Amino acid sequence: MKGTLWAALSAFAAGAFAYLLLRAESQTAIAVLLAGASVVAVVAARVRKRSALRKTAATAGGAASRPTATADSAASLPAARTAEPASRERMALALFVAAMVAVALLLREDDFALLLVARVLIAIIACLGLNVQFGYAGVVNFAGASFFGVGGYTAAVLSHSTHWPHLLLLFIGGVAAAGAGSLLLLPVLRTRGHYAALVTIAFALLFRTFLEVNDALGGPQGLKLKEMTMGPLHFNDPIELGAFEGSFYLRYVLFAVLLAVLFYLLVQRVERSFIGVALDAVRLDEIAARCFGLSLARWKIAAFTLGNFVVGVAGALSAFLVGFIAPNNYAFSESLLFVAILLLGGMGNPRGLAVAAAIVIVVPEKLQVIQEYRFLLFSALVVAVLVFKPAGLLPRPMRRLP
Amino acid sequence: MSLIGQYLMNGAMLGMMYALVAVGFSLFFGVLDVIQFSHGDVVAAGAFAGLIAWKGLTALGVQAPALLLLGVLAAAGIATALLGVVFARYVVMPVRSAPALNVLLVTLMAGTVLRECIRLFYPSGSQPQRFPALLPSTGWDFGGFHLRFDNVILLTSGALLIAATHVLITRTRLGLAIRAVAQDEETARIMGIDLKRVVLITFALGSVLAAFAGVMDGLYYNEVFFEMGLLLGVIGFAAAILGGLGNLYGAIFGGFLFAALQTIGAVALPFASAYKDVFAFGVVILLIAIRPTGLIGERASERA
Amino acid sequence: MKIFVAAVIALSSLAAQAKDTVRIAFIGPLTGGNSAIGLGGRNSADLAVRQRNANGKAKYQYELVVMDDECKPDAGVQVATKAGSDRTIVAGVTHYCSVVAMATVDTFHRFGLPTIVWGAVLPDITYANDYKEIHRVNGTMINQNESNAKFMSEHGFKNIAVIHDTTDYGKGHDKYFTQFIGKDGGKIAGDFGVTADQQDFTAELTQIKGLNPDAIYFGGLTPIGVRIRAQMDKLGIKAQFDGTSGIVNDDFIKALGPLAEGTVAFREGASAEKLPRGKEFLEAYNKQGYTNPPEAYGPFAYAAAGLLMDTIEKSGPDRKKIIAELAKVKDRDSIVGTITFDDHGQNTVPVITKYVVQDGKWVAWEDSDYARGKRKLIGK
Repeated sequence: MKGTLWAALSAFAAGAFAYLLLRAESQTAIAVLLAGASVVAVVAARVRKRSALRKTAATAGGAASRPTATADSAASLPAARTAEPASRERMALALFVAAMVAVALLLREDDFALLLVARVLIAIIACLGLNVQFGYAGVVNFAGASFFGVGGYTAAVLSHSTHWPHLLLLFIGGVAAAGAGSLLLLPVLRTRGHYAALVTIAFALLFRTFLEVNDALGGPQGLKLKEMTMGPLHFNDPIELGAFEGSFYLRYVLFAVLLAVLFYLLVQRVERSFIGVALDAVRLDEIAARCFGLSLARWKIAAFTLGNFVVGVAGALSAFLVGFIAPNNYAFSESLLFVAILLLGGMGNPRGLAVAAAIVIVVPEKLQVIQEYRFLLFSALVVAVLVFKPAGLLPRPMRRLP
Repeated sequence: MSLIGQYLMNGAMLGMMYALVAVGFSLFFGVLDVIQFSHGDVVAAGAFAGLIAWKGLTALGVQAPALLLLGVLAAAGIATALLGVVFARYVVMPVRSAPALNVLLVTLMAGTVLRECIRLFYPSGSQPQRFPALLPSTGWDFGGFHLRFDNVILLTSGALLIAATHVLITRTRLGLAIRAVAQDEETARIMGIDLKRVVLITFALGSVLAAFAGVMDGLYYNEVFFEMGLLLGVIGFAAAILGGLGNLYGAIFGGFLFAALQTIGAVALPFASAYKDVFAFGVVILLIAIRPTGLIGERASERA
Repeated sequence: MKIFVAAVIALSSLAAQAKDTVRIAFIGPLTGGNSAIGLGGRNSADLAVRQRNANGKAKYQYELVVMDDECKPDAGVQVATKAGSDRTIVAGVTHYCSVVAMATVDTFHRFGLPTIVWGAVLPDITYANDYKEIHRVNGTMINQNESNAKFMSEHGFKNIAVIHDTTDYGKGHDKYFTQFIGKDGGKIAGDFGVTADQQDFTAELTQIKGLNPDAIYFGGLTPIGVRIRAQMDKLGIKAQFDGTSGIVNDDFIKALGPLAEGTVAFREGASAEKLPRGKEFLEAYNKQGYTNPPEAYGPFAYAAAGLLMDTIEKSGPDRKKIIAELAKVKDRDSIVGTITFDDHGQNTVPVITKYVVQDGKWVAWEDSDYARGKRKLIGK
């Protein structure tokens, strides 16, 4: 009961905070909000740590003593804590989704805030996909933006050349991204660590140049997309339902919420199932995994392909949302932003992703006042977070054996 | 025929710069098992430090090119050595026990900080800056092939520098310590090697090589740009990986190989030259797929 | 909290006493590879606003809201939505990068925000739509290359190699230049696309050397323009260097030193140095102490901001009225020449100025020693 109350309260707090931040215009207000949030975050971390310590002290055994908050906690075997029971977790998810929808409805006429929310949601979806690769299977992918781009370009080209329903195009965008990923399967499977990183970095650089040079896909001038429609729904028309009026972005936001929840549940299912355990084993110790009869190739392929599919779907949705795509959007630096979201959020933890995606997308936007110094400050911020909190803001909770 | 000579010369210059950067990557990986991804931006910082020294010296009335060159090199070397030490001490060492990915991202972002600083704080730094020609610009024409004296000097001194690094690593006590740390850190410590010192010295050393690459780049192209390190870093990394991490010969080989691929992609293949990077990186992916631990393999064992 | 509220009240009452504040957006690339031009444009627009505010006769107090489009379509749409949905912003001076300008026209149309493009040169931005909101003070790359091709063939450069970057800017220039030089009887010896962050051009240039052209046409921006010109010299290529508006700035000359001498390039708009108000602009700009020069398109941003404020003075700060008023712009004097908008909001009288580098300065061709025959272009 107490837990539910807490969840409801924190969902409310998160929603209220998101609303205030998105509406905030004056610099003082933004600064106050951000400072307040950091203080709350630090205090919450302290409290949590203390209560966790007390609990471990109470259970006394020390057998499951948490590794101290060193960098290794992310890499060590997630062995403890099944977190909360499933029902409570579902409740928490529902509450948060309700809070977000409420925020979206409150913001219904603020196009800009809704666009930002939609972009955060799309980044969350994409990073859920990358999370399967990095966080679970330990397959690095520095070409996230490229697969995002494959999805986007597929949707753009097909929206012009066919009359297929756009929902299908999103799906095909994902399939195309997964297909493009299969080009890299062999090198990704055969390499490890930095060698694998190079493969994807090289692909990211190659992909962008290819888009620019190749005129068939619009070349550097990019492509316009048709308006997204689903049956009678025209996504780009303003919403008017009797007295209720809203920005057209509201539809995108609601749809993105739906997709994000679907993919969140999918990814969570994967993690909780035998697949998740197998992926953990593959990531943590390839030799041991092989000794237990796991096929490394099969699991890595599965994770890489599933991840790229999710990223591709997100990319296709993003292309429809922006209405225009060009190679500039799919540069290596964009892939790095995705990786930054993953690492800041705490590798392998979908909830941390939501927080990190919001930070990485909204904060630079709110930093517009400092204009050309924005990027400098942002990079310094990421360095600071990673140096002082190597496991990310919300590291993946330990798996507890039943 | 004369054009082939020209292409060879172009490729050799490029390859030398890539090799110098790649050797740095390999050295750092050797001692700390990390990728220092801001290395490319250290190259740019070296070039800009040299440029500032040149401006300062000419403002003081120094005229002799030899003296100027010495000043430029010294300033670039000292600045990058310091930068290397600072990065090692305050950015890389604190996160070295974190997953490799974190180190990659931290150093990439630190590189971005450095790059943005050059762009924002160097006077009109978002535009290319002229780098003085300090070497004699005479040359010889062999038909269509124009061999320039300054290119010969740059190429030779680059080769000498790499040779000196090689001697340092293989023949001196310091080199012994570096190799010991690279091979087995724990044992090296037990043997009384001051790990921190060795790491910092290695980073300083690798960064000085980068400074030379930066100054060489400036002297060769007579122009430096705040973003010059971005691609140079990625290519240096690719070269180090191609050759096999932690292996100096591999890094040098990888550097020249990448330059060759680019030149071939631009010249010899039947598609637009804009595809040359697509081609070069495509081949890199292919080679890595065939030799997953580099062409001159890293000593790979499953369990150390 | 109390203090905060008090401060807000104090501030708003202060504003109420003075003139009404009118907010105008400036959008351009402030970070990344094109930031030099973006910052120059921002400073110039800022200068226009400062001057207007210092002018006691102005009806309104103006505020420039600066946003960074990063030269990326998605970031551009994001800030365009921000500007468009913010009802306190009545108009915008928007975009240097053509891809971004293409991506945002729909957004501005949707929100009915009148905008004047200050630097993007792709023809489609104004001509591929009928949006009344979109205007442009600078000419398109069509005008520029028409003059360029004509100039080259008139001066006897018939065999020309083209290097262009593979961005929309470079590719567009390549397309129109190739088209016009063909009409004028010239020949393209070879066409080379290069990426915008490329360092080394020796492979391409060595190939060009083999083709032995009279001139090298370059479609792209200063950074690689500088590299290409410098490396031409290293390889001993003696050909005339012919550039586009992207290299008409002081940094090109500063970065090349004596090598820049004799380079020709073309830019839309009258040369700021030649018009009396243009001179004033440059002096005021220098006096303001901005750390970046205005670059080639600064005068356009300045003219666009000025034109917007003139319009607002007449029509009042209302988006629809501003659009109606902008449609009437005809023969308006500005520091980049007269401005007349056609049905598509395109300035139809874009003067193209021919420039040549002489003694470390971009000089209008007609005033140069080259035109007088005292100096000669390379190979002539």
